[in-house]
Amino acid sequence: MATSTIVERPALVRQKRFSETYIGQWLTTTDHKKIGIMYMVTAFFFFVVGGLEALLIRTQLALPDGKVLDPQTYNEIFTMHGTTMIFLFVMPMFTGLGNYVVPLMIGARDMAFPRLNAFGYWIVLFGGLFLQSSFLFHAAPDGGWFAYAPLTECGVQGVNCIPATPSINMDFWALGVLLLGISSVAGALNFVVTIFKLRAPGMTINRMPLFVWMTLVTSFLLLFALPSLTAASGLLLLDRHLGTHFYQAAFNGDPLLWQHLFWSFGHPEVYILILPAFGIVSEVLPVFSRKPIFGYTFVAWSGVAIGFLSFTVWAHHMFAVGLPVVAQAFFATSTTLIAIPTAVKIFNWLATIYGGKLSFKTPMLFALGFVAMFLIGGLNGVALAIVPFDYQVTDSYFVIAHLHYVLFGGAVFAIFAAIFYWFPKMTGKLLNERLGQIQFWLMLIGVNVTFFPMHILGLLGMPRRIYTYAPDLGWNELNLLETVGAFIIAAAILVFLFNFVASLRQGQPAGGDPWDAFTLEWDTTSPPEPYNFKTIPVVRSRRPFYDKKNPETADWKVAVH
Amino acid sequence: MSVAYREGIPALEQVHDEGGRSLGWWGMMFFIASEALIFANLIAAYLYLEIRQGGHGWHLPSEIWYPLINTVILLGSSAPIHYIAAKGIEKGSQQRLIWGLLATIVMGAIFLGGQVYEYSSLISEGFTPQSQLFGSAFFTLTGFHGLHVTVGLIFLLIVFVRALNGHFTKERHFAFQAGEMYWHFVDVVWIFVFSIVYLLPLLRG
Repeated sequence: MATSTIVERPALVRQKRFSETYIGQWLTTTDHKKIGIMYMVTAFFFFVVGGLEALLIRTQLALPDGKVLDPQTYNEIFTMHGTTMIFLFVMPMFTGLGNYVVPLMIGARDMAFPRLNAFGYWIVLFGGLFLQSSFLFHAAPDGGWFAYAPLTECGVQGVNCIPATPSINMDFWALGVLLLGISSVAGALNFVVTIFKLRAPGMTINRMPLFVWMTLVTSFLLLFALPSLTAASGLLLLDRHLGTHFYQAAFNGDPLLWQHLFWSFGHPEVYILILPAFGIVSEVLPVFSRKPIFGYTFVAWSGVAIGFLSFTVWAHHMFAVGLPVVAQAFFATSTTLIAIPTAVKIFNWLATIYGGKLSFKTPMLFALGFVAMFLIGGLNGVALAIVPFDYQVTDSYFVIAHLHYVLFGGAVFAIFAAIFYWFPKMTGKLLNERLGQIQFWLMLIGVNVTFFPMHILGLLGMPRRIYTYAPDLGWNELNLLETVGAFIIAAAILVFLFNFVASLRQGQPAGGDPWDAFTLEWDTTSPPEPYNFKTIPVVRSRRPFYDKKNPETADWKVAVH
Repeated sequence: MSVAYREGIPALEQVHDEGGRSLGWWGMMFFIASEALIFANLIAAYLYLEIRQGGHGWHLPSEIWYPLINTVILLGSSAPIHYIAAKGIEKGSQQRLIWGLLATIVMGAIFLGGQVYEYSSLISEGFTPQSQLFGSAFFTLTGFHGLHVTVGLIFLLIVFVRALNGHFTKERHFAFQAGEMYWHFVDVVWIFVFSIVYLLPLLRG
């Protein structure tokens, strides 16, 4: 008879899989929230890189006859500044924000294609590193962010190289933007399918938050505009390496073909960079005004109108190249037309604030700053649409002033509004309010000190992209002032970085709903569980979470407006 | 606010239409739409350059019959993948899936071989991407299409191997469906490319 003994079994110590370790969880994740955060952190890293490049530019231009950078390095720095800020900062930042916020806002558990989503992120990271690695090979792109042929035609083969010396600098650029384009198309089709197919019950198109609307329009712009860049840079690579003649006048080719192809991507691209910002501001202003957005339908459909119009305005970048008069008239008209849906938005935002119980928290400050700065950028943009005026200031600092008011005063302010607004959702902690206010005022002052004098410099005839200037042209004081402004902006960013690290470590706990917000992403824990919602919410209005909290005054009971 | 609000409590409509197309189908459609626009841009570039040169010298040194036969083969290749393979797997027939795929792959490969032959004879006549602007435009546009045929063939070959291993069922065969969508796209694009590159010079006379 065997006595029963307790058999000591070896303890079940299973080797942790890589995907279960902390690092592995991030590297292998397909969760839209983790991917969104990785996008944003990566984008911010490249923002710092592009910002340092901007500081180098401003240091070089602070005084006449600057000696900080030699001409070739200067070309590389301004090219990489533009390319980095557009392709590696603003675009991935908005993709990241959309990734995090859109599925939560529409009550979905994830994006439609989680693995494609991760693929898009990794391509951005390595595409970005590929572009920046060009500095290590002393071959950073040097043809400007719009890479005008035939200046960029000279490849290593030596074909088409009169008189420039062969180099691989622009190959980095062309291949880099091709890679990033793949990522953007993958991301965009993912957003479109997610928004069309994965909305919670009751979340009709007409109840979607406006940030979702703008992400949808942006995604369509990406799908239909990026192919132009793909074609353009593909032909550029063929010219450089195979010796084809697309952009060469000497062989009946046409340098203007590059400009047409590039700008038929490039102008929709401008709206790709600003429409998500419109969406952010349309979310933040109502919450901090304690009112629903004024004229929801107009805000949404003016975004769609801008999307369509953005494909009809590209040649306003080319007024000075000698287009036929009819073409100039057409593109001047379509460009001024686009001011109408944009102004519709501005007035709707003002009406949203009007009569509201405003609370000037940092997200609200940045959103208001956005409206003011973007308005300036919009107005000098309309000025540039007037052909004779454009002749005078084209390729001058006036254009630099315009695009920085739109992209820095516009997109970057909206990005900070979004970071301050959604940081508690992503981390469960609030960013420090006091530091946020300091950062806002530094940035507002810095932006205007840096970019406003550029209008005047442009009118005084200072061309863009010159690496230095003579002391007797009357440009000295304003250039010095701009450099001071650039460092004020840098100080603001340092304040933010400190705030970010400090608040992450010991920020005030946020709770699920620190802003008494309106939309579904706040109707769950902060940060949310991987599955987002325990039960998929049922939506009955445009402010589902607000109405759930205030059922007696819900939108479906009280007719507003 | 909106009309729906004023008309009282809105209905709680179900957005997820279970009978509709799959997510993958929609994703593939938007991907193909974006790809199609690359072709649209290349075709626009082709026509832009052709018109600026007044069409002078924009015709091939060779006869049209060979590419015409090739075109018939490529367009024909869309038939077996749809009428034999797709209709077959919808009824659960593995045999029809495999044979339909095989027929399409063979026809696609013949087209590609024909294109290689056409290229080599053109190049031997001194007509190259470098010889003149039309050469650049011709080889780029048809070559970009050839690249898509190649990708489509690789796509279908992977699907074919998976079909041999019995990966697809009546209910679950999205990879096959995506491959079929891509192949039809490559075929339809060829109609535009062929018309512009080969037929347009005939119209100009």
